[in-house]
Amino acid sequence: MDRRDVLKLGLAGAGIAALGGCSPLAARYAVQEDPALPLPPRDVEPEVRLLNRLGFGGRPGDIARVAAAGQGAFVAEQLAAEQKEDVRLDLLLAGLDIFSMKGDEIEDIHKEQVLFELQRADLLCAVYGRNQLFERMTDFWLNHFNIYALKTDSAFRLAGDTRKVVRANALGKFPDVLRASAHSPAMLGYLDNTSNKSGVPNENYARELMELHTLGVHGGYTQRDVMEVARCLTGWTVEDRFLHPRGQFRFNPDVHDAGSKEVLGQTIPAGGGQGDGERVLDILAKHPATAKHLSTKLCREFLGKEDPAWIDRMSSAYLASGGDLREMLRPLLTSQDLLTAPPIAKRPLDFVASSLRATNANTDCGQAVVDHVTRMGQGPQLWPMPDGYPEKAAAWSGSMLGRWNFALALAGGKLAGTNIGMEASRKPIEEILGRHGGADDLLGPTVNGLNTPEAAALCLASPEFQWR
Amino acid sequence: MKAEWWSCDDYAQSQKISRRGLLVGSSLALYTLALKQSALGQIALRTGKQKEGETVVIVFLRGGADGLNIVVPHGEDAYYKARPALAIARPNDASAHKEDRTLDLNGFFGLHPALAPLMPLYGEGQMAFIHAIGSMDESHSHFEAMYAMERGLASSAPGDASGWLARHLISSSVVNDSALRAVAIGGTMPDSLRGASNALALDSLDDFKLQGDAGFRAALDKLYANGGDPLTQAGRQTLKALDKIQTLPAGSASPYPQSDIGQGLRQVAQLIKSDVGLEVACLDKSGWDTHVTQGRGTGILASQLDDIAKGLAAFATDLGARMKHVTVVAQTEFGRRVHENDGFGTDHGHASVMLLLGGGTVPGVHTKWPGLNDDQLSGPGDLQVTTDYRNVLAEILAKRLQNKASTQVFPGLQPTFPGFTA
Repeated sequence: MDRRDVLKLGLAGAGIAALGGCSPLAARYAVQEDPALPLPPRDVEPEVRLLNRLGFGGRPGDIARVAAAGQGAFVAEQLAAEQKEDVRLDLLLAGLDIFSMKGDEIEDIHKEQVLFELQRADLLCAVYGRNQLFERMTDFWLNHFNIYALKTDSAFRLAGDTRKVVRANALGKFPDVLRASAHSPAMLGYLDNTSNKSGVPNENYARELMELHTLGVHGGYTQRDVMEVARCLTGWTVEDRFLHPRGQFRFNPDVHDAGSKEVLGQTIPAGGGQGDGERVLDILAKHPATAKHLSTKLCREFLGKEDPAWIDRMSSAYLASGGDLREMLRPLLTSQDLLTAPPIAKRPLDFVASSLRATNANTDCGQAVVDHVTRMGQGPQLWPMPDGYPEKAAAWSGSMLGRWNFALALAGGKLAGTNIGMEASRKPIEEILGRHGGADDLLGPTVNGLNTPEAAALCLASPEFQWR
Repeated sequence: MKAEWWSCDDYAQSQKISRRGLLVGSSLALYTLALKQSALGQIALRTGKQKEGETVVIVFLRGGADGLNIVVPHGEDAYYKARPALAIARPNDASAHKEDRTLDLNGFFGLHPALAPLMPLYGEGQMAFIHAIGSMDESHSHFEAMYAMERGLASSAPGDASGWLARHLISSSVVNDSALRAVAIGGTMPDSLRGASNALALDSLDDFKLQGDAGFRAALDKLYANGGDPLTQAGRQTLKALDKIQTLPAGSASPYPQSDIGQGLRQVAQLIKSDVGLEVACLDKSGWDTHVTQGRGTGILASQLDDIAKGLAAFATDLGARMKHVTVVAQTEFGRRVHENDGFGTDHGHASVMLLLGGGTVPGVHTKWPGLNDDQLSGPGDLQVTTDYRNVLAEILAKRLQNKASTQVFPGLQPTFPGFTA
């Protein structure tokens, strides 16, 4: 089956959705599933798979460390996320203004500078973080609750958002992530809830809250539910009054719709004020459709496919534990299925982070690195739509030359602010890459005649290294 | 008014789609299922022949371009009432500076003065302006509206996730295996090309170079020679494109603006003149979201228009007689509110204007003009959409690129060719 057939199937899906008279909501994302595309043959060493799936790939020495610990102990370590961080990460993050300034001081900096620091922080954490599963989940949440930094004041508000919403709860409980996101000024501004007022409700956030953040498009809600949730959330806005702490969450009772509402069959009595919205979050967080939607996404993230048995198992764990992410993830991450699941295409951020890790680079993740990732199409915080960067490999077909040139710049010592030193031979990369089935055969004869930086670059530029 | 009328009722009908929409959906499903069942379906489709070297260039004006101040309805009193601070003066308004006056097109509509570089092209019969055009998306959200248009849908939900141009490339009966068949100038693949395995996104032709030597290149060729996964395929496509781009003749020295759009158009012209099989090119120009201080004869909007007009004029000059085989479309996700706001700007509206230039363009201002009186506006005070943008694009694909599979490119559309392209 090739792309052509895939798209034809997509069209057929759209037609069937119309035929069945599904609600437009249900059909909106109904046709995105790519049937299995051919993938590179893989017979991956378990250690490599664990490092690639839980985090952004291994550093030299990691394979031996994981092999000594074993899957169970490594997963337990990563789920605990209590590894002391690399001092380089602490120092580099401490140098960023966005993390040292308080409140709205940040608005004194240029928006471009704020964005650049946000992007640097994302990259630094992915590259240096020792709690790699925590960083992978951070990336997951940044896409699940995507916010476009260039919409109005989003960049300023995102500095707080990343820490308070995503990093505070990356491996915690989903209802807490959800609640933090719903109170996040960055999200309320991005999805226009700041213009959601009684009388003329703005549905934008209410819709995405159910469709993308919780229930999923097949989660059983209606257009009427969207409108009712929007009513519940009227007045959830961002503080902008004189002499008040600018940029913080604010509930404005003056524009809240005080009437009674009905959400997903439950009555929310009149006069609830801010409690209406809190109640909605509660209903959504406890809904089985939310458990299924989140389990499906996590299954794709870690298993690279939607496996019904695992989705059921993770949904049950969600409902039994009140949305505890560790309870959901532990069985999957410690399973044999994780080791044998199909490969997942690295997005550009993943490719760059794993390249820097594989080469044990000293990097400031500064402008040169940010520019490379952005040219490949995945500048952090720059996806305009609320659905997050695409997961499908095909969306990244324009990034290949960018990947190769990044590999050449990195291995050739031509990446400003990044140094891989004299030991940047092909050896550490081959340690990571060479364990991938077939890579030895493929690269062995090919690298003959190349100098050391070129051989190292070729490892990073190879088809095998584009998958995890 | 002298503007041409196009009697179009499918917007009104699409508002109450219900039963008919379901029938369209079901026949589409049966058709595509039948195709899927047989590989012969593919072969049967691959028989068409494209006109020699035809190219369609899509310029997306991102941010919601103000159609009313681009192609000005200077015959409408309501326009001047709604925009006391922002209206572009009538062509004969002696009280305004000459350079601030509308450039008359047909006695009712005229161009913003910054579009003066396009007037000769209009005079030569190379240009058309389609007014009150847009999608059915009423979200007033840039993202929703762009996402709908780039996927070729009536509105942002429901629909296919792939782009309309990707579906064109896939459903086209024309055989074109060029590595440079579909090119997006810019950092990322636009949504309109999402799903096209043979599209290429590049920042600049000059920078589309592998930074390694011949030995490295040879090694990549080996590594990417086989393998059917999407990224290995994309790698092979990229290597093919590298070869073609390396042998391109130098670009034109004709005076394009130094801006991104100017340089983008220069490179598209370079590809066209090099006969590398370029069929679809995509460019972006952002900066149209003029909520505040958009200006009149000068200002934010004027400098945007100045840039694009100079770029397109240079493009037409550069290509000369080749323009017969090149159709440029400039589109935007929505227009802006009819009444100006308190900040000397305009808020998100609905209908806007589309510009056509070059091969096959039926010249003139084409519109079923809905009027600007308050009782003629839609939503919160918007110019009504009277032309479905999909019909114009479907006609261009059918007549210029010989792709008649409009219902595959634009799911749910019952195409009605408006006659703006020959």
